[in-house]
Amino acid sequence: MTTHISPQMASSGTQHGKFEPYVNNGGTTLAIPGKDFVIAAGDTRLSTGYSIHTRQSSKVFQLTDKCVIVTAGMQSDASTLHKTMHARLVHYEHAHGKQMSTEAIGQMLSNMLYGRRFFPYYTFNLVAGIDSKGQGVVYGYDAIGSYQSVEVGAMGTGQSLIQPLLDNQVAYKNHQLVPSKELDLERALSLVKDSFTSAGERDIYTGDSVEIAIITQEGIKYETLQLKQD
Amino acid sequence: MSLSFLDKSYNAFHDDQSFEEANSNTLTLYKEPGLVVPPTFNNAGFRDQSHEIAKKFAKGTTTLGFVFNKGIVIAVDSRASMGNYISSQNVKKVIEINPYLLGTMAGGAADCQFWERYLGMQCRLYELRNKRRITVSAASKLLVNIMYSYKGYGLSMGTMVAGWDHTGPNLFMVDNDGTRLKGNRFSVGSGSMFAYGVLDSGYRPDLTEEQACELGRRAIYHATHRDSMSGGIINVYLIREDGWHKISSTDMDHLHWNYVEDKKKEIADRNKL
Amino acid sequence: MFLMRSEYDRGVNTFSPEGRLFQVEYAIEAIKLGSTAVGIQSRDGVVLAVEKRLTSVLLEPSSIEKIMEIDTHIGCAMSGLTADARTMIEHARVETQNYTFTYNEPMLVESCTQSICDLALRFGESDKEERGMSRPFGVALLVAGIDEYGPALYHTDPSGTFVRYEAKAIGAGSEGAQTTLQEEYHKSMSLQEAEVLSLQILKAVMEEKINSTNVEIASITVANPKFRVYNKEEVQAIIDQLKA
Repeated sequence: MTTHISPQMASSGTQHGKFEPYVNNGGTTLAIPGKDFVIAAGDTRLSTGYSIHTRQSSKVFQLTDKCVIVTAGMQSDASTLHKTMHARLVHYEHAHGKQMSTEAIGQMLSNMLYGRRFFPYYTFNLVAGIDSKGQGVVYGYDAIGSYQSVEVGAMGTGQSLIQPLLDNQVAYKNHQLVPSKELDLERALSLVKDSFTSAGERDIYTGDSVEIAIITQEGIKYETLQLKQD
Repeated sequence: MSLSFLDKSYNAFHDDQSFEEANSNTLTLYKEPGLVVPPTFNNAGFRDQSHEIAKKFAKGTTTLGFVFNKGIVIAVDSRASMGNYISSQNVKKVIEINPYLLGTMAGGAADCQFWERYLGMQCRLYELRNKRRITVSAASKLLVNIMYSYKGYGLSMGTMVAGWDHTGPNLFMVDNDGTRLKGNRFSVGSGSMFAYGVLDSGYRPDLTEEQACELGRRAIYHATHRDSMSGGIINVYLIREDGWHKISSTDMDHLHWNYVEDKKKEIADRNKL
Repeated sequence: MFLMRSEYDRGVNTFSPEGRLFQVEYAIEAIKLGSTAVGIQSRDGVVLAVEKRLTSVLLEPSSIEKIMEIDTHIGCAMSGLTADARTMIEHARVETQNYTFTYNEPMLVESCTQSICDLALRFGESDKEERGMSRPFGVALLVAGIDEYGPALYHTDPSGTFVRYEAKAIGAGSEGAQTTLQEEYHKSMSLQEAEVLSLQILKAVMEEKINSTNVEIASITVANPKFRVYNKEEVQAIIDQLKA
């Protein structure tokens, strides 16, 4: 997926580009829901192949006062998706006189992604927010809209590095002996930071910095953590 | 089909349609007007890429359903994989269409989730318009009509629609080819052969509810044991006249060691004799 | 050229010089020929009651349906050309289902009413492919429901206007009924009181003697937010409580 015109094509008599509308721009996203908070984070590196195009491309997009989306995959599809969602949210607020609930956003995104079933958005999304009961929720999606609420979600190029460990440390999966205890914000935040620093050490597409959105009933706070610049 | 946003023309690059044909009804939807597409435009890359992206997620699965005298048992695993990577170990593969209807999920997760939800909406509208519940036969027919209308578009769905209506318990299998079969025993997914083996040998119409649920659970367990694309949690549902009930949700690993224990005891008991 | 009133009252697309749309006004008049319907919002729910005109002893009363469910949490009563109401209710049912499909939550009662009124306003529209609506709907609705904000009652008319009411009567007996509502209604009314009041009012305005087959009553409560039309026994139980 690194070149659009293959060498064979260029050297042969007729030259034509193969229509490859998809590029994976790399990067990792992560979201952890807690009892009364939720954390969503994404690194800011944007690459194509082995080239790093920018070190400050955001994957986090704020949808409402208590909901954000983090998107891995292809940057152009992600930004189009974010803009389209934003338009839907503004329209909804005008039509129904209230901000869309996190649960409603969750379902709407599923339908929006499925609406492009035959020309999908190359995006892997996590919607993180506070639900109508005041609890933190994270919905994880595939590219065409299948979704489910998750105990911890990682997406993108670092997914396979982070997800199994956090299944164990956050969702307390595969523990034989240790009793599970409730996750507090402090521990969740340090897990997020450690996950990204570690993923940055082993994944060429993850690095530069991490944007972290911390959502509580009081609102959304943002933090940035510097990662290695190589 | 009134889902205008799911316009089939989005899929103009599908299969061996000629470029002219594809170009005429799709490109304008996504490109700025006036964009010139080279006449030797090659859509193969798009076809492969978009297909691959759409196919990612739930592929391997084992699901089963069977009718017995007291009702219907539905049992499923919960694994979803993207290639070698297990993308989830706790997927809900039983879709609760309404209190009397269940659908199972095999194939593309999004295809199943979306269309069975859409089916749920159509069933509710049927109820409002006709003041009575839709039959399982009619519901499955609605679903298969959609599948047939999208035939060749690459949808992936192997589902069982099960429920209790005024005719009694009913089980239908519907897939993306437009197949719709009524039957007493079905298993769908990559692990179905293993499940069928257990199911067919243990099945009797006069099973008690407990025995039936255990048969379903055991059949899925054996499938998760031999099919690496199946695994995780085993969910069992029972459908009676008063609607469906979720019976159990068990980690296959716990089941495994329980079954091992049982077998040990059985051998010990036999040796005593 | 100055057109006579008779020339302005034909098209639905033309205002009269005084700024009136006669066809819409006439449509509102049509409701005043319809059977009476009453809606009362109470502390713990909303009640809808309608009179059924049984014009012949050979008529099957159950085939007259003037209260209908839109979604689990919304229902409505109608007065006027009930055939028009069916179109509107079908629209509302599809809208509420679509909303739930899109957002996985029940639609607000106000949003549902708004969507009905959007349809009501589409008269006079047409294009080459699709034949539009040639005239306004000749029906008024009382939309009752419960959403996250609690019980709500709305009144819609053929002009596509909708207004929220605590208690409202429509149809032939609406004038007298509305006066009684104004006198009798109080905010702390219980659902049982609302049930009795609604039938008391129907009893007063109906030509026939009230019985369990010539009225229809339905309600939705906060305790059980499922819209439900009462059966004959339940209707009779309320009639038994009416003052002579």
